[in-house]
Amino acid sequence: MIELQAAVSGALNGSLYALMALGLSLAWGFLKVINLAHFAMILLAGYLTFELATSTGLSPIATIVVTAPLMFLVGALIQLGYERFDVSELNSLLISYGLLIITVQVVTNIWTADFQRLPSEINPFSAESLAVGSLRFPMPTLLAAGFAVVLVVAAALVLGRTYAGRALQAFGQDREIASAFGIDHRLLGVLLAGAAGASAAVAGMLFPIGGTLTPDLPFEWIGLVFAIVILGGIGNVTGTLYAGLLVGATSGLVAVIWTPSTSPFVVFSLVVLALVFRPKGLFPQKGG
Amino acid sequence: MRHKGWLALVGIAVAVVALPAIRHSTDFPMFYLIFLSGILFWTAQSTSWNILSGYSGYFSFGQGAFFGVGVYTMAVLFGRQGINWWVAALAAGLAAMLLGLAIGTIAFRLRSLRGEIFALLTLAIPFILASLARLSKAIDGGQGIVIPVPEAPSFLSQFQEFVFVVSGVVALFALTVAYVMQHTRYGWALFAIRDDEDVAEGLGVPTFFHKMIAIGVTGLIAGISGAVAALQLGFVSVEGTFNLDVPLFVIVMSVLGGRGHWAGPMVGAVYVYTLQNRLASGGFEGWSLIVLGALLVLVMLLAPEGLMAGFRRRPWLSAGIFIVIFLGLWLLGITSDPVTALALALGVTAVIAFIPGGGDRSTSSLVDSGEPQEHHAPVGDEPTDERAEVGRPLLVAENVVMTFGGVRALRGVSMRIHEGELVGLVGPNGSGKTTLVNLISGAFPPTSGSISLDGTGIVGARPHRVAHLGIARTYQIPRPFTSLTVRDNVAMAIMFGREPLGLDASRRAASEYLDLVGMGGRADAFPGEINLHQRQLLEMARAIATRPSLLLLDEALAGLNPVEIDNAVDVVRRIRASGVSIVLVEHLLRVVNQLATRIVVLDQGLELAEGEPAVVMRDPAVVKAYLGRQADAAGD
Repeated sequence: MIELQAAVSGALNGSLYALMALGLSLAWGFLKVINLAHFAMILLAGYLTFELATSTGLSPIATIVVTAPLMFLVGALIQLGYERFDVSELNSLLISYGLLIITVQVVTNIWTADFQRLPSEINPFSAESLAVGSLRFPMPTLLAAGFAVVLVVAAALVLGRTYAGRALQAFGQDREIASAFGIDHRLLGVLLAGAAGASAAVAGMLFPIGGTLTPDLPFEWIGLVFAIVILGGIGNVTGTLYAGLLVGATSGLVAVIWTPSTSPFVVFSLVVLALVFRPKGLFPQKGG
Repeated sequence: MRHKGWLALVGIAVAVVALPAIRHSTDFPMFYLIFLSGILFWTAQSTSWNILSGYSGYFSFGQGAFFGVGVYTMAVLFGRQGINWWVAALAAGLAAMLLGLAIGTIAFRLRSLRGEIFALLTLAIPFILASLARLSKAIDGGQGIVIPVPEAPSFLSQFQEFVFVVSGVVALFALTVAYVMQHTRYGWALFAIRDDEDVAEGLGVPTFFHKMIAIGVTGLIAGISGAVAALQLGFVSVEGTFNLDVPLFVIVMSVLGGRGHWAGPMVGAVYVYTLQNRLASGGFEGWSLIVLGALLVLVMLLAPEGLMAGFRRRPWLSAGIFIVIFLGLWLLGITSDPVTALALALGVTAVIAFIPGGGDRSTSSLVDSGEPQEHHAPVGDEPTDERAEVGRPLLVAENVVMTFGGVRALRGVSMRIHEGELVGLVGPNGSGKTTLVNLISGAFPPTSGSISLDGTGIVGARPHRVAHLGIARTYQIPRPFTSLTVRDNVAMAIMFGREPLGLDASRRAASEYLDLVGMGGRADAFPGEINLHQRQLLEMARAIATRPSLLLLDEALAGLNPVEIDNAVDVVRRIRASGVSIVLVEHLLRVVNQLATRIVVLDQGLELAEGEPAVVMRDPAVVKAYLGRQADAAGD
């Protein structure tokens, strides 16, 4: 039973990682940008949620009204910069690494390197949990999973069913041909990067709800999140969700079967094996 | 030109030995010795990063991992076990080298996304190592390790002098390795990998081997340097070792200094370390990472070639301005602190370096030179005189099948190419021509079937092995190494060819092949400065410079005007006359008719017909499948 609890909780946690991976995967697949600044936006949104909730007394979920549009803007502006300077895929790694370092240090200067936690009277979710049979799930985990699933499904629908989504897919496959057919890639790219930024804001909001904030969180996320991006298939939205659930469940199971400290090693080793044998992801898309 | 580098290295060596010796007599303050030790440490680290990431283009965020393995090997072996410090330092280098080779074994074997996955892998590894060190009682256990002061040789009276000399030796080792690599095949292989890894492999460069050498050397230097840093620190902790400083600093230093030149990272180290020092002494410590991050973004966007490129454009002006400002500020007493004078002088010199223009090579125009064609021999429709003379079978392909996902690109093709033949491989789009060329050149193995050259099976062999066996190819869209001149593009193929020559000999030999294709006059141009026709001729020169027995020309005449086509046809004839058998993939039937001794027609992954051009072209099946659409073009 404890294994089932661990696997399901792990999968729920993994969905939050999938949410973080979503924006990265889209930007990499469709815009050919590997945007480490995505982690900077998540971190910044997390701290802004913390700051807004504590200073106004609002529910942390309500702060999304401010953080999502703000991060949409930030994401769009960064993409405009990449477009303006015609940044290549590998160079975008180095440039966004610089942006990430700047953000981490700015966050440290403003909120210090200490742990920050929302007071429990503002964050009612922290103490709640939901019992399903003999399984118990903390409310923050359920919230995270809920947001993740809704956003991933929404992204999949937009990409598959709308004109803009199909235009983006065409653009991801062949930029020149797509441009020749009149697809305004600049506008689409900036909108996509903005949407990725907004998804970063949602992910960022979930961290202060679920636990504590420190400025070096991005470096704990990066390994697992990119593993999910690659295992899910770059640019493959639903694959990202499956990969997140799978990695999370594995990680949870390993933690109870062996010890929690071995879990990162086992998960990372599995990821490396998967990269070597399935570098195009675990869930290849049709026609790809 | 060559000994300028050696002079610089000897100069640094003299300074490293002389400074501690003359320190007492000249009253050279200890603070500056510590400052210079810092620059030497970062020179070693950033040069180490640059050998892998600058030369080969494989960005690594994992310098902290190599550094950390060095630090902890020293801490455990010397600090805890009491093993001799220099034995521990060498062991640290070896341990970091092994880590590099292990990473390379995994990441460098990938077929797609190699660079990206490598970068992301290196991003995660320091954090894995940090948690390993924190958990393991045998390594750290979260407490940190105290390292005693080592017993220094008697001629170095103080510990800081000892650190300075040892750091200097490590930095010199790093610089020498980087310098030697830049001027030998080991560096050139990495430059070729950076420009176009698949092409390099196809020309005979064992890319995996050279990437492993690069990452091994990077790990070795970073490990030894980390071990020395551990000695200097006296106490090491997980947080102090596996933090962001090392990876960020080496990247900023190398990018700012210039990644293509061995001295670039050293220049960057001087700049960044001085800047750091001034920020810290000015009370802006919390800003230093912000400044470095901003510097990285700005340099990448605005001047990605770095400072060294600017200094090399105006060497005397830069050096003059630097010396005048530095000495002027210091000696005239305008600033009492020489580090401030250094910082200001460096700043002004950087402005000079980043002003564009003034140079020669980097500001090349993209204007087509309009060079007159050398060969105007009109090529009519008369049959070629070089038919027959067919020798023994050279290439034998049996029942080759290739499927991509669900698509069957080749459905069982068998063909033989004999010595002295020039076989035209034709067929409509999607018939499998280019797939066959890729399989023969070893780009990927067929799903089933066998291919052999001169009786040696080549299925499963890596492309550089196939190249060494005697198969060369060109690409439909030319893929020159853009950072090398036309001559050096060809020299690269000779340097890594079947009978490899050194760099100088290869450059001399390159002229012969450039003359053969009529490109002798453009040897010193960069690929960006020549037109499409010339780039295609360069492709051919580079391919025959590997001295193949079989040359695969993949639509080498695509996009040319009629005069250029006639010239290219002449070149192909000359190549064949030099004793190379040729497979010519071509859409232009006029050209195939003129040149080919035999034609093979592919359609939908199967061989439709083969034989003498005149016979094949009248085959009703061929006309139906292929010529039907182009009958007008063929009949004129």
